Amino acid sequence: MTVPDLSPNEKMAQLRPKEPMGPRITRLVVTILIVVPFIWAVVGLEISPERIYRAPAEIWVLLTGMFPPDFDDSGRIVAKLLESIYIAWIGTVMGAIFSFPLSFMAATNVAPRWMAIPTRAALSAIRAFPELILAVILIVPFGLGPFTGALAIGLHSIGTLGKLSSEVIEGVDEGPIEAISSAGGTLMEQMRFGIVPQAMPTIVSYWLYRFEINIRASAVLGLVGAGGIGAEIVGRLSFRADWPKAGAALLATIAVVLVVDAISSSIRRRIITGQPSRSVLSKGMIAITGASRAPSTEIKS
Amino acid sequence: MGIIDFTDTSVTYPGGLTALKGVTLSIEKGEFVVIVGLSGAGKSTMLRAVNGLVPVAGSVVVDGREVVGASRSELRSIRSDVGMIFQTFNLVNRSTVINNALMGRLAQVPRWRSFLGLWPADDKEIALRSLERVDIVEKAYVRASDLSGGQQQRVGIARALAQEPNIILADEPVASLDPVTSHLVMRDLQRINEDLGITTLINLHFLDLARQYGKRLIGLNDGRVVFDGDIADVDDEVFRGIYGRAITPDDLVDK
Amino acid sequence: MTTLAPGIQTRPVEPPRAATYLLPLGIGILATGIVGLTGPVGPLWGTLVGLVTFGVLAWTNITRRWIDALILVVGGIVGLSFFDSVLAARTGKIDFKIALLAGVGWLVYGAATGIVVYRHRSEYRATIIGLQALSWGGGATLALFTATAMGVLAPLNARQISNGEIQELTIGLFVVTGLSAAAVGLGANLSFATRLVTLFATGFVLVLTVMAYNEIQFSTAAIATQLSRIGEIADDFWPPVWKWRKSLGQPETFNIIEPFIETFQIAIVGATIGNILALPLAFYASRMTAPSNIAYRVAKSFLNVVRTIPDLVWGIFFATAVGFGNPFAGALAMIMFSLSIMAKLLSETVDSIDIGPLEAGRAAGASHSEVIQYAAFPQVRPNYVAYALYIFELNIRASVVIGFVGAGGIGRLLNERRNFFQWDQVMAIVIVIFVSVLLIEWLSIWARRKLV
Ligand SMILES: Nc1ncnc2c1ncn2[C@@H]1O[C@H](COP(=O)(O)OP(=O)(O)O)[C@@H](O)[C@H]1O
Ligand SMILES: [Mg+2]
Repeated sequence: MTVPDLSPNEKMAQLRPKEPMGPRITRLVVTILIVVPFIWAVVGLEISPERIYRAPAEIWVLLTGMFPPDFDDSGRIVAKLLESIYIAWIGTVMGAIFSFPLSFMAATNVAPRWMAIPTRAALSAIRAFPELILAVILIVPFGLGPFTGALAIGLHSIGTLGKLSSEVIEGVDEGPIEAISSAGGTLMEQMRFGIVPQAMPTIVSYWLYRFEINIRASAVLGLVGAGGIGAEIVGRLSFRADWPKAGAALLATIAVVLVVDAISSSIRRRIITGQPSRSVLSKGMIAITGASRAPSTEIKS
Repeated sequence: MGIIDFTDTSVTYPGGLTALKGVTLSIEKGEFVVIVGLSGAGKSTMLRAVNGLVPVAGSVVVDGREVVGASRSELRSIRSDVGMIFQTFNLVNRSTVINNALMGRLAQVPRWRSFLGLWPADDKEIALRSLERVDIVEKAYVRASDLSGGQQQRVGIARALAQEPNIILADEPVASLDPVTSHLVMRDLQRINEDLGITTLINLHFLDLARQYGKRLIGLNDGRVVFDGDIADVDDEVFRGIYGRAITPDDLVDK
Repeated sequence: MTTLAPGIQTRPVEPPRAATYLLPLGIGILATGIVGLTGPVGPLWGTLVGLVTFGVLAWTNITRRWIDALILVVGGIVGLSFFDSVLAARTGKIDFKIALLAGVGWLVYGAATGIVVYRHRSEYRATIIGLQALSWGGGATLALFTATAMGVLAPLNARQISNGEIQELTIGLFVVTGLSAAAVGLGANLSFATRLVTLFATGFVLVLTVMAYNEIQFSTAAIATQLSRIGEIADDFWPPVWKWRKSLGQPETFNIIEPFIETFQIAIVGATIGNILALPLAFYASRMTAPSNIAYRVAKSFLNVVRTIPDLVWGIFFATAVGFGNPFAGALAMIMFSLSIMAKLLSETVDSIDIGPLEAGRAAGASHSEVIQYAAFPQVRPNYVAYALYIFELNIRASVVIGFVGAGGIGRLLNERRNFFQWDQVMAIVIVIFVSVLLIEWLSIWARRKLV
């Protein structure tokens, strides 16, 4: 021992508490809960060391096969990308328009329980269907094409936006609402002047965020024939093995998503932080939405 | 040659502000030095020049090793011999007290052991003894955030002690504490200096604390040393020289 | 009336009232409706628009004078006739010049409204009224210009435009102009630049919507038709069939379980490995804990690119690389998926940690990775656990569909049954997915709540 003189006297040593077992047990249990299912899954999927060992080389072959990308039929790529954007946009607009009233109906601080609970259940039921599966079902009545894709994305967006927006509405400061109702304001007036100004910036930023997600979703709907760039990527990768062209489609998709993300997130930031003196855009949004104050809410899902 | 030698030491922050301007002085082994000065005078900067936490120019030699131009690993080895105590304690609030103290051992323990949390018994013993030294060992397995301010600062001292340092740097260690606790913590630091012979540099805001516990006093003003001498020689005139104004009750912990 | 205040203080000028904001909105929408119903605009519709405007002004108590009605009607006739003649006279390309000319038509009408409002609300500064008028003209011009530049009118460039197309075009313009002007009216107390941006933004949103609506052939009629024959469609799907033969001659078996378990395993492997790999990446992608500026930028850019690629595209990618129908591909895809989300969420959390403990760690001579493990990670541990659960939930959802691209799991089965048009079997699979997704969501919410 290098520092015998650290502790001033001997009897101090008796005050030392025992290391409690609780945290150790928790750690053990958590480790088991992670490791055991993991091993079960790895064994079940037959992921052998040999396969893991081979994978990097296989991925490398594909990656180098896609480069340099072949932009020969860029016209088609652009058209399909535009279609993806249109699908995402209409889906988002649908989601925004229909989720807006639904989110009020699902918010327990606005709607009565008999209305809020079923609305909520319906929203979460809609959400449980991934876009692709909605598309698979909707193709039966509406046929192949971007219209079906937009419907699928729109439906799913209603579910997610409805839930998120209703949470925003439930999270608003009750003070202004109380003030309006005590001044004799109707429920409509309470919503218009008490809730909407508080909740709107966050809700609008959710709409934008949803658009970002929907762009990605619409980029894969082509898989089942619901329009957009997806079919190009899949077709060229798997069926025709035309890797350089697949690379071109993939790169173009990444570029578009990056650009849309950048624009959308900068607008979102401005709406949420609402820097009134600097940002012309946020003032514009405020002008459109009639909102003036943003409760800061972290975006998830 | 002292244990710390500043020779024409300057610190210029990335923004371009020069916070320490050509300081030259020497601190002997086992000294208990108090540094005073207005806020922004460069006290914290001077302490951080010792363990290379700020960009230093000139020369700082700590225990025979040059800080200026030291490589990463050299710097880490210098730092491992220099304990540091902070105004805001800088504990990891969500970790237990013993884990906070064990952070002082990180430089000594093999990486694979600290990675897995398999601390050698010796290092655990050192951490526990450091906690005993500051009378906080009974809280070893309590979360740091569950302690009072004074207790937290004692954990901060224990973390520094666990490094088995030759030098302790304390950056306004009592500025966040009430007067009674302030005295307790200062007394702890004083006793550590006396019992273990650890060279101690303390930044202080309160003049009466400086007078009561200090031996040697360094006065900083705008990055320059304006006084360096025995605390006994310090009178109101000297304080006025350092602070540029007369003493007010705000400068005292016991009003 | 009781005397409430002695009246010493000077009263401030009343800011523009909501009524004036509503004005452009009402007119814009009404005009759209009228013109949309009846085709080309002209003197008649100018009269109507003028009278409607007067009606709105009268209703909002701004004016009830006949002289104002006259100004508005004349302004409407002149403006809209001009607008009409510009549109109807051109036979070839629609370009910026024509857009500008059409805008002038609106300008005249806008000026007329401006004059009337100005006559009766002298306390409104003239600039506001001027801007109001300008924005009407500007609204039309900019909307048209945007539309031209974005190629909405591209098909019309080369040839004669039919009457029907003019009608459609005019409806579109009225929608855009009316709503843009309304938005500008809403922001009457904002600066000119803000109104301009608002105008542009509104125009952009509307143009994009109209365009997208057309391009994807959105059809409310189709929705109505299909809704009316919902019974027939349901017949295809209902009742669900749970058992079927895998191939001829084999007994009917319950085939959903096995791929379902596979889906679960894919999600577990993906979430576990992804969440672990995300740890170092997240700390590199936060300025607080990045070892160097370069490392920060590299990690951040990598994450941004990975995040743009949808889960299914990862699926296709890895399926192509390591073999189709292979759940290993699915697991790899889920790893990338989990990694990108976790690293992003966690790095944003790390951005707001307390740097004090990090400094303490460095001062004690700890290495960079030790500082991260002992000073930074404990600060974000609860968030990490919550995110991990959430990502596991997302993984279950995502791995359901990943099979569509040959990456294993229940999605593969669904795709296969779909290709055979076995809708009742598809239904059974969908029900299983639906129930399990809901269950996992509840479980995850419950677990996260327990943690807090
Ligand atoms: N990290 C930093 N970057 C830039 N300037 C700093 C930094 N830290 C301190 N300073 C500046 O250096 C000067 C001295 O600061 P400091 O040493 O903290 O003073 P003191 O501890 O005496 O109050 C101040 O003007 C301060 O603003
Ligand atoms: Mg300081």
